[in-house]
Amino acid sequence: MTPDPHPGSGPLFGRRLPAVTAAAVVAALAAAMMSPPDYVQGELVRLMYVHVPAAWAAYLSYAVTLAASVGWLRRRRPGLDRLAAASAEVGVFFTGLAIALGSIWGRPTWGVWWAWDARLVTTALLFFVYLGYLALRRAIPDPVLRARRSAVFGVVAFAQVPLVHFSVLWWRTLHQPPTVLRPSDPAIDHTMLIALLLGVLAFTLLHALFVRTRCRIAAARDALDADDETRYRPVAGAAVSAPEVGSHV
Amino acid sequence: MSRPTTTPTPLARCLALAAKDLRVERRSGEALLVIAPFGAVALLLAPLAVGVDTPLLAELGPALYWLVVLLFGVLVTLRGSAVDGPHQRAMLALTGVGPRILLAGRTLGNVALLLGFELLLAPVAVLLYNPDLTGWPWLLPVLVLVAGGLAVLGSIADALAAGLDGRTSLGPLLTAPIAVPLLLGATGVLNAARYDRPPWPWLLLVVTVDLVAALLAAWCATHMEDVA
Amino acid sequence: MPHTAPSRDQPGVVATTRPADEPCARLDGIAVTVGRTPILRNLDLVLNAGEVIGVLGGNGSGKSTLLRLLATLVRPSRGRGAVLGHELGGPGTIAVRPRIALVGHLPALYPQLTLAENLHLVARLTGREERSADRALALVGLAGAAHRRAESCSQGMARRAELARVVLAEPSLLLLDEIHSGLDRDAVELVDEVVTGVRGRGGACVLVSHEPDRLTGVADRLVRIVDGRARPEPQAVDAR
Repeated sequence: MTPDPHPGSGPLFGRRLPAVTAAAVVAALAAAMMSPPDYVQGELVRLMYVHVPAAWAAYLSYAVTLAASVGWLRRRRPGLDRLAAASAEVGVFFTGLAIALGSIWGRPTWGVWWAWDARLVTTALLFFVYLGYLALRRAIPDPVLRARRSAVFGVVAFAQVPLVHFSVLWWRTLHQPPTVLRPSDPAIDHTMLIALLLGVLAFTLLHALFVRTRCRIAAARDALDADDETRYRPVAGAAVSAPEVGSHV
Repeated sequence: MSRPTTTPTPLARCLALAAKDLRVERRSGEALLVIAPFGAVALLLAPLAVGVDTPLLAELGPALYWLVVLLFGVLVTLRGSAVDGPHQRAMLALTGVGPRILLAGRTLGNVALLLGFELLLAPVAVLLYNPDLTGWPWLLPVLVLVAGGLAVLGSIADALAAGLDGRTSLGPLLTAPIAVPLLLGATGVLNAARYDRPPWPWLLLVVTVDLVAALLAAWCATHMEDVA
Repeated sequence: MPHTAPSRDQPGVVATTRPADEPCARLDGIAVTVGRTPILRNLDLVLNAGEVIGVLGGNGSGKSTLLRLLATLVRPSRGRGAVLGHELGGPGTIAVRPRIALVGHLPALYPQLTLAENLHLVARLTGREERSADRALALVGLAGAAHRRAESCSQGMARRAELARVVLAEPSLLLLDEIHSGLDRDAVELVDEVVTGVRGRGGACVLVSHEPDRLTGVADRLVRIVDGRARPEPQAVDAR
């Protein structure tokens, strides 16, 4: 496969990935609808099939941002900066979605919109950390400076996340203990597990689709700027011309 | 005029830079005469919003104190009087001081100022809230360690937001969410001491945060230099 | 006088690997872009040891950027260059910086500090005694104002304090940006003396100005920055 010489000129969404994603989303929705209601939570448990995958996609996004940030600092490839930024944007979206869905799920289950649980607090903090990351990017007009500073913050922020999570975990916990990622048999009905895994797959594909599309938009913009630069641009000093001396008298 | 007589050690250079920052602060008074009173105002206003419930305020006092230290302490690290303009940055760079030492010098000055900031606000919090001071000796290491951690994180945010229009609003957003372990550690130590539980784990948490932040600062300083 | 590289065992001083006949600075096809705006484009310049170059150019032509580039403070976006034997953007740039002095068009002084405190800071960071900073201040005629805060000094006094920093640093490469503005006749002579001192030590100077008259007689040759490139300029009073 040869690389696209004009990264911005390809189809924005592509064909295969949207088709596969759509199929996965339909399958995940069908599985979520067909899975049995929970003994305690009843129909409300179906929120789990979107809440948990959204949280998974959020964490995946931040991991991708971290990897791309480290990659940019080593290789200085603009594509890695675009990937870091795109994944952070998508991550903020999925984090917001996970928090909103969790809140909707928590209201009838726990009786409150918001609970001071470790995982919830860490996720909310992550949301703000990456809002800060995006704000930092917006504040820097120079592309190289932006890539460098945001890559550094991408690494610093993510390195602090385990400490944040650990401290909040110590501080308080009332979230249910892990039910799926247990070394022995998961404490979840197998039909529900399949629906959940399909949800995770669908959200992972959605993440890939969103990130790829966002990267392509950014690449197209960069290509436009590069085109602009290859055309002869006047140097900064060319903007200054001789004053019209005597015309004001 | 004169050849250098000795090679300044990195510590000597850090101390020179920190002394410069403290001297500038002594003349401008931004951290201790503007931000600290602002923090004291926050401590005074909180009971007005909560209500004058003395036992409740005594309970909330230490938490509110640390919250103010965290949020307003970030402002101390981002104080405008410490901003080096492009010409000053060029001058410092041409003395041969590397980015790590520049960041370490700024951090050292921040530690001193944050300690002063904490010590100024502590009696205000005690006066206004009358908290239970059981286990107060634990406060001493916590004050130093929180000042250290916040100083490092603030210096990193200051470097990241340097020269940007919204640095004073961007800096706190970058720092506050990742400084949460300092808040939890500080309040955790005092709570543990009050209820006769070992405060060591919380203290260890704050030490870990300080160390990780220092390592991150050392790593990122070399990447942060905006010049060749 | 041949260029004398500071010895390797001299504390606080970085030895150079530059042979005596190598130029102090060499720029080949350099481009500097800030954001997306090109400032310098395909600029070539050779600065030989003992040479003083005057750089002319209109507002925004990139004169100051050229000085910052030579001071290793700006990374070229294209092209290659070396300053005092070190490649621009290479690993040795930090080590070579103490041998470069830059006086920008705005003072690099901390306004809240006194002139003496400003100079003492430089002395402490470069491993010199504070006394030598005081001597440098006296040499530029500011002994009486040493304890005055920089914010309450006139532009000319601030300029002199900057020159004291140059005197203290004894640079091999001196970069002066519009140095004559705000200086009285004595101080202009002081500039000439400082430049002569650097040249005498085998160093080189670049003086930036938009007034050719200022540079005539001081500079060995003139270049003009036009369209991001350096073009030779005839040495004449009416060079404009």
